[in-house]
Amino acid sequence: MRYSMVPSSDTRPALRLQDVVKRFGTYVAIEAITLDVPAGTFVSVVGPSGCGKSTLLHVIAGLLAPSGGRVEVFGKPLTGINRRASYMFQQDALLPWKTVLDNIRLGLTLRGQNGRDAMENARNWVERVGLKGFGDHYPYQLSGGMRKRVAMAQCWIVQPELILMDEPFGALDVHKRLRIESEILGLWTGSGKTVVFVTHDLEEAISLSDDVFVLSAGPGARLVGRYAIDLARPRQLMDIKADSRFHELYRNIWRDLRQEVLKSYERTS
Amino acid sequence: MNEPVKQRSALIVWQLALASALLFAWEWGAASRRLDPFFFSRPSEIVLRVGQWVGTGILWMHLSITFTEAILSFLIGAFLGVLFGFALAGVPILAALLDPYIRIANALPRVVLAPIFLLWFGLGIWSKVALGVTVVFFIVFFNTYRGVREVDGAMIDNARMLGASHAQLVRHVLVPSALTWIFSSLHISIGMAIIAVVVGEYLGASRGIGYLIGQAEGTFDTTGVFAGMAVLAAGVLVVGGLVGRLERQLLRWKPEHAGVGVERLG
Repeated sequence: MRYSMVPSSDTRPALRLQDVVKRFGTYVAIEAITLDVPAGTFVSVVGPSGCGKSTLLHVIAGLLAPSGGRVEVFGKPLTGINRRASYMFQQDALLPWKTVLDNIRLGLTLRGQNGRDAMENARNWVERVGLKGFGDHYPYQLSGGMRKRVAMAQCWIVQPELILMDEPFGALDVHKRLRIESEILGLWTGSGKTVVFVTHDLEEAISLSDDVFVLSAGPGARLVGRYAIDLARPRQLMDIKADSRFHELYRNIWRDLRQEVLKSYERTS
Repeated sequence: MNEPVKQRSALIVWQLALASALLFAWEWGAASRRLDPFFFSRPSEIVLRVGQWVGTGILWMHLSITFTEAILSFLIGAFLGVLFGFALAGVPILAALLDPYIRIANALPRVVLAPIFLLWFGLGIWSKVALGVTVVFFIVFFNTYRGVREVDGAMIDNARMLGASHAQLVRHVLVPSALTWIFSSLHISIGMAIIAVVVGEYLGASRGIGYLIGQAEGTFDTTGVFAGMAVLAAGVLVVGGLVGRLERQLLRWKPEHAGVGVERLG
């Protein structure tokens, strides 16, 4: 089976990028990025806006082919769509003509799983993401936060080994965001899945991740640094920002990130 | 009764009052010879004539012919429109190649085709269906084309990431997106189909409401012309209501089509 439920015994990195370049015509979006993501970890990619974070995620997803370099997923070179990954998009990507339940089970439907088990599975996910009683609603009837929960279930139900998230909660207010982030951590803990989380919010990146990658200002974004986040797990997101170690990490990373943010200001103004 | 319903019934009362006032003025004008009944007929006679048509059964025969033609032209025109819409949206080269021809064909007044269709398909229903098809085709074609081209890129990427093959992408994303546009234009395309077939009948037929109106006009029978118009108007109103219902059912996932009682959850 392609999608395993148990933590993968794969010891190879979930993701390995080697000198990955992405150009659009003469515009260089990302330049020679090399990094690896150990299987089962939660990593974040931060950088100033417009630095090519989304482009990088699209390359990892196989939605964009790199212009140069190699992408390996669990040791195998990536060609075409990354079949071991799910992608949670920044914008609303639910199908408006399908109900919550049908949206959640879309991945199963596409795999030809239409039976009672698939239906039961989808119903479970409706409850797991806290949308009990909303299975027959259409996306327009839900709030932004609820739609994000549907998208979350849609991604997780296919049991991918790798989950890519592109600033998924950027549009939510701070409190809703904190709640849904805790739920994401709850789902991830013990699942053995690898998460690559893109955000421009350093606090969010630190509080969720095992590792934070900082990208330089675009165009031609490079990897500026990689920072191990040694905060103990499980984490209480409500209280983590009061932790002194959190502040220390924040200061260290912000020192580098700040420069890139300033550079991106200069370039855009 | 809640506020919107109350407002709606008040509106209907006013609409009926307006119609009654106009009809009364017309009837009074004709009775007092201020309007010449030869040119303007009068409401009471028109009602009588419609009653006669209903009594002899010829009304249903003509009406059913007209609506059969309209439905056939809608179905055939919509089928061809969807087919071409998808083909051209999927193959940009084809769209670029055919673009000027489609523009020319769409700019052509369809009425001028009626005599040719009469020659090709005869006096029966098919010459009218052909005329209706040329009208419906373009409406559905443009809507399908737009629906396919303007589908949200994130939706496509999302479906691909969830494992959609090309065929599944068409089925789960592109077709429903195009259908949204087509359903939104149902009112226009069915209305236009009715107009086209009535014009076709008017120009040459042996049956149908358009034929009925044409016959009456040929004998200076203004009462017959107005009676035909009244029947057609009533028919269009009924069809419009049915289409509205169908649209609400098919597009129930869209906020502006949701019925009363479905609230937006904050």
